[in-house]
Amino acid sequence: MIVLDKVSKRYGDFQVLTDCSTQVARSEVVVVCGPSGSGKSTLIKTVNGLEPFQGGTITVDGIDVGDPKTDLTRLRARIGMVFQNFELFPHMSVVQNIRVAQIKVLKRPEAEAHQKALALLDRVGLGEQAEKFPSQLSGGQQQRVAIARALAMDPIAMLFDEPTSALDPEMINEVLDVMQELAAEGMTMMVVTHEMGFARRVADRVIFMDEGRIVEDAETDQFFGTPRSDRAQLFLSKILHH
Amino acid sequence: MSDFDFSVILDNLPFLIEGLGMTFLLTLLAIAGGLAIGTLLALARLSGFAPLAMVAAAYTNFFRSLPLILVIFWFYFLVPLILGRPVGGFYSVLVAFILFEAAYYSEIIRAGISSVRSGQVAAARALGMNYWQTMGDVVLPQAFRAMTPVLLTQAIILFQDTSLVYVVGLKDFLVSAELVANRDQRLVEMFTFAAAVYLVFCLLGSYAVRRLQQRFAT
Repeated sequence: MIVLDKVSKRYGDFQVLTDCSTQVARSEVVVVCGPSGSGKSTLIKTVNGLEPFQGGTITVDGIDVGDPKTDLTRLRARIGMVFQNFELFPHMSVVQNIRVAQIKVLKRPEAEAHQKALALLDRVGLGEQAEKFPSQLSGGQQQRVAIARALAMDPIAMLFDEPTSALDPEMINEVLDVMQELAAEGMTMMVVTHEMGFARRVADRVIFMDEGRIVEDAETDQFFGTPRSDRAQLFLSKILHH
Repeated sequence: MSDFDFSVILDNLPFLIEGLGMTFLLTLLAIAGGLAIGTLLALARLSGFAPLAMVAAAYTNFFRSLPLILVIFWFYFLVPLILGRPVGGFYSVLVAFILFEAAYYSEIIRAGISSVRSGQVAAARALGMNYWQTMGDVVLPQAFRAMTPVLLTQAIILFQDTSLVYVVGLKDFLVSAELVANRDQRLVEMFTFAAAVYLVFCLLGSYAVRRLQQRFAT
């Protein structure tokens, strides 16, 4: 469903991504990991065109993301994205956050959008919080609202950009649990995360990035068992033994 | 001169209130028009489209380099010339105020927009919102909230600046007070009263600014 072919990106002279190629099949869950600054967040943002790229091609559901003729706005409405810092709209209540794009972008009737928002809030365990404002919620709750907001668009795939990195440790699991349920329901997911336990449990494949390159792209068992590259081994030994 | 007679105020109250109405009308219309054009100027400057940004920057710098009274004079003679017929003091002054205020508002609004986290824009775009939806539903409501105190401060300055309309013979509050003062030979009473009125409204405005700042600070 998502195909990246030799994707490259520069910021001026600085090469952020070099020849990144991989694929995510329908209902597949792929975790992207690597040291900070390795380009993994940038890579995931190229998939829905939030980050422009100069070389290579990306297609999502057959649509060419890099083609200037592509209606990126329409494409983005079909790809859900969850951010490290939640990015809920602070001036809207929780339910308004989930309603706004349904009404404005998908042109759903207000009542239908409202019902959908409430149902999704129930699903992420926040049915009671509909009328609250984001600032009144914990980080974990905010991130679950953000997931509900993305799901309200009936996305064909979900992108997660370090969804638990800004959370206190005790809130990480409530977010990961929601993501695991999504995966179990067959959602196509690309997840940038340092949560190796989640990767081991949920991911079909793990991509390891370093210095803007995809260094390793392997089945989860293989990645955690015997990673081929030294850098991935070093990364794993550091991240798993602290 | 020792016999102050403040009854002159009461006797002429309807006339003075009429003048005050003109002052408020000009202030409110100039704020509304200034905000509308100022927002467009700010969006143009932040658009990333160089020619548009340059035109907006030139406009802003131009009007901010001129004394307001000059702009008022200028439009008083210019607007009838362009339209080919007299438009009266009110409309020429209103146009001058709106275009002048827009330059100041655009700078305030630009700072307000820049204060909204870039992640908010990314989130709106990721949901498939287009540029105008992103601005209208996500960025501007947050930006205006952040800049309300500064905008209100600018409105207080504008409220005082409307007294400059005397140069084109428009009857605002200060002109009305002056007319009464000269006619009834009650200069001290009338100008004291006028000062008190400006003072009260501006202090009220400043108080509102402080309250808003406290509220937004939390």
